Amino acid sequence: MQTIISSLNKIGKILQRAIGSLNTIGFSTPFIVFIILIACAPLYIKNQYMLRLLVVSLYYGILAMAFDFTGGFINAVNFGYAGFVGLGSYTSALLVVYTGINPWLGLIIAMGVTASVGFLTGLLTLPLRGIYVSLMSWFVGLTLMALASALVEVTRGARGLVVSPIDESATILTHLYILLTLMMVIYFILRLIINSHIGLAFKAIGQNYDAACASGVNPTKYKLFNFTLSCACAGLLGGYYAHFVGIVTPDVMDTGHTMEVMALSYIGGSGSLLGGVFAAFLLLPIFDSLKQLMEYRLIIYGMLLILVMIFYPVGLNGLYQKFLQFIKRKKETKL
Amino acid sequence: MDLAIIQDLLMTGFLRGGLYASMAVGLALVFGVMNICHFAHGEYYVLGAYCAYFAFVTLGLNPILSLLVASVLSFLAGAISEKLLFYPLRKRSKGEWIMNAFLLTAGLSVVLQNLFRVFFGMKYRGITQFWKTTFHVLGMSLPADRIIAFFIAMVAIAALWLFLKKTRIGRAIRAVSQDENGAKLVGINLDRIQTLTFALGSMLAGLGGASMLSLSPAYPYAGNKPLISSWFVVTIVGLGNVPGAIVGGFIVGIFESVSFFFLGSGWQDVASLTLLILLLLFKPTGLFGTQIKSVWE
Amino acid sequence: MLEIENLQAGYDRLQVLWDVSMHIREGEFVALIGANGAGKTTTLRAIAGLLTPQGGCVRFLGENITGYPAHRICQAGISFITEELNLFQAMSVEENLLLGAYLCRNQNLIKTNLDKVFSFFPILAERRKQLAGTLSGGERRMLALGRGLMSNPRLLVVDEPSLGLAPIIVLTVFKTLQELHAQGVTLLLVEQNVTNTLQITDRAYLLERGKITLAASSKELLENEYLKETYLGKR
Repeated sequence: MQTIISSLNKIGKILQRAIGSLNTIGFSTPFIVFIILIACAPLYIKNQYMLRLLVVSLYYGILAMAFDFTGGFINAVNFGYAGFVGLGSYTSALLVVYTGINPWLGLIIAMGVTASVGFLTGLLTLPLRGIYVSLMSWFVGLTLMALASALVEVTRGARGLVVSPIDESATILTHLYILLTLMMVIYFILRLIINSHIGLAFKAIGQNYDAACASGVNPTKYKLFNFTLSCACAGLLGGYYAHFVGIVTPDVMDTGHTMEVMALSYIGGSGSLLGGVFAAFLLLPIFDSLKQLMEYRLIIYGMLLILVMIFYPVGLNGLYQKFLQFIKRKKETKL
Repeated sequence: MDLAIIQDLLMTGFLRGGLYASMAVGLALVFGVMNICHFAHGEYYVLGAYCAYFAFVTLGLNPILSLLVASVLSFLAGAISEKLLFYPLRKRSKGEWIMNAFLLTAGLSVVLQNLFRVFFGMKYRGITQFWKTTFHVLGMSLPADRIIAFFIAMVAIAALWLFLKKTRIGRAIRAVSQDENGAKLVGINLDRIQTLTFALGSMLAGLGGASMLSLSPAYPYAGNKPLISSWFVVTIVGLGNVPGAIVGGFIVGIFESVSFFFLGSGWQDVASLTLLILLLLFKPTGLFGTQIKSVWE
Repeated sequence: MLEIENLQAGYDRLQVLWDVSMHIREGEFVALIGANGAGKTTTLRAIAGLLTPQGGCVRFLGENITGYPAHRICQAGISFITEELNLFQAMSVEENLLLGAYLCRNQNLIKTNLDKVFSFFPILAERRKQLAGTLSGGERRMLALGRGLMSNPRLLVVDEPSLGLAPIIVLTVFKTLQELHAQGVTLLLVEQNVTNTLQITDRAYLLERGKITLAASSKELLENEYLKETYLGKR
């Protein structure tokens, strides 16, 4: 008996230490619980459709996170984001369809291509400030969409390009675990950057561009790096999603999709990275469970975005922080 | 190449340019006075088109009256949305107004588009014509609607010019665009001027949508194309530049009709967007960019 | 006519003014003096409604105007000429002046006021069609003063009229203020140029680190030892 208790204690301590070290790399306890819940989802969700919904939520959540990496930190809203996602989809899909390469290789190339276009867009926006950056990236996104529609011989235009799945044997669970891993890896990397001196420079640029320049931060380097990385994520996910859904049309690049990702990221809380993920998991299942609401989905998105912008700019993340403070205060009063 | 084709292209572009000019003037006005990059401008265009359709077809009003109804209703819609959304945002937002307001208009655009879809469905609501005549201009026969829509746009712009230049309130609008604190200190109620400006901008868009009803029918996403084109206009001439927006409207109208002829519809988008990116790259303040901030001097 | 009681004001969490109290009687010419950063401009901005006070009370002609927006305060009869002038750069001199009379709908009155301003500042009449942004520094200040006068204010509040002007033009500006006072305009003047200011004003308040530390007639203040040492540069 004694040995069992002591060994349990030991396990507890090890767990505590593990969680502690996970916390230091940004995996806070609720986030770990969240990951475990999703990882164990197949145990309590048997419905294929519901699992698919989780995959879609993960997809949107990661996109919102990568979007926030630009919008929430260097304060440049990439309004052509859907264009970059679509570029990733098309690159991978076209490569697989026309050259027959392995879809995984296609994904990597898609990521590279999107990252380079992101880099170029970053270059284009260099002389621009604030709202002009958004406009420029919007125009780039629109151009990509216009290209996808215009190159009918290659992309089949609005009829859509049929894409083979990432792996013939892939089930919905494979997708779930792959995206879950992707989310953790991307979050880990983005968060590592945000917490380094680079992240500090991002925030400096985002808050006061001139002051940042004056204090020796070279915005060129950071802006380009930020844009490239954020677009690389978009390309990777876009490519993956194309293989997951099985068809690509120029519609994926529509500004409406940027709006969805943007809404999630702002509802989640600008500058919080994870806010967007939680917003996706909160909203997408709600929209889906209320089937009759599907029609109103975008209206609700828009309204939520408007309400958050006006009344609660800190979003879900702000709510969470308030909750943490509340608990802390409770603890202090107890002591 | 045939002279007649060139003439035809220029004429089509010119008439289209009239619409873009009036839409872009609204955008420029709203940016110049309120610092809002108005992303939902196209939705007021659609609203105007729907209003004109229901007034003309359902209620059977005469064309002039239908257009009047459309412009009054889009004016009101603009005023209401300003009071409901941008006013509270202005009171709460500290820095970052331009970006926040832009995101707000983006949200508004999504909401309005989908409200249209819910209320009116995806059906195209168009009419064959308001006026049953054709005009003969330079040896070309053009439907009266085209010419009249063009003249309506021009008259609206001229009326706006007179209003801004010659009236007390118009002068106040220009004053707000140049110096907000100065305007407050001479006793101008900023909130009212801003509501009025937004309403005027929406009215211009609504009138545009209404007068073009026979050429492009009303449906929920009809605003996207004119929105992108009028953004094209204000970006090339510089945000907040109203007289520039008029010239720019014609440039873009003619450019679009010419590139459409040579490249076809798909590549025309690519061409205009590429041109726009290049322009923004080499002259970020626009073709007629100036240092002093003002809407129409 | 203007009474300020325990005014507290500042920007966000930074409080600049602490319990500022002062008053101005009809027809007086009062100065508010003090060093850079003492809170003079903040006081004026709080009076004019460009800044919402955090506490205290501002009364004008018996009406409590605390926290009114700027355009209501202008309506109440206070004209504020800011340090940066806030002219409408892309408009002509005449349009700027007409906007000064924005609240007045009586065309005849506007005409009279315009003539009055032009007789005061003949240079403005000469340049009436010129854009405000193209005027020289002195002319711009006159235009700002003229615009402030167009609304027939009961109280004219002027912030640092000598800022950035050549000494000779400073003298003209001061003379103009004196003339305005002689014509019966009540004035509140903020200046760093303490000696000149005290020579033309009736009374003055000294503002230091957001608090009023001295209040007396200008004559007395000119003789005040402390003031002499710290602000007038005489020993």
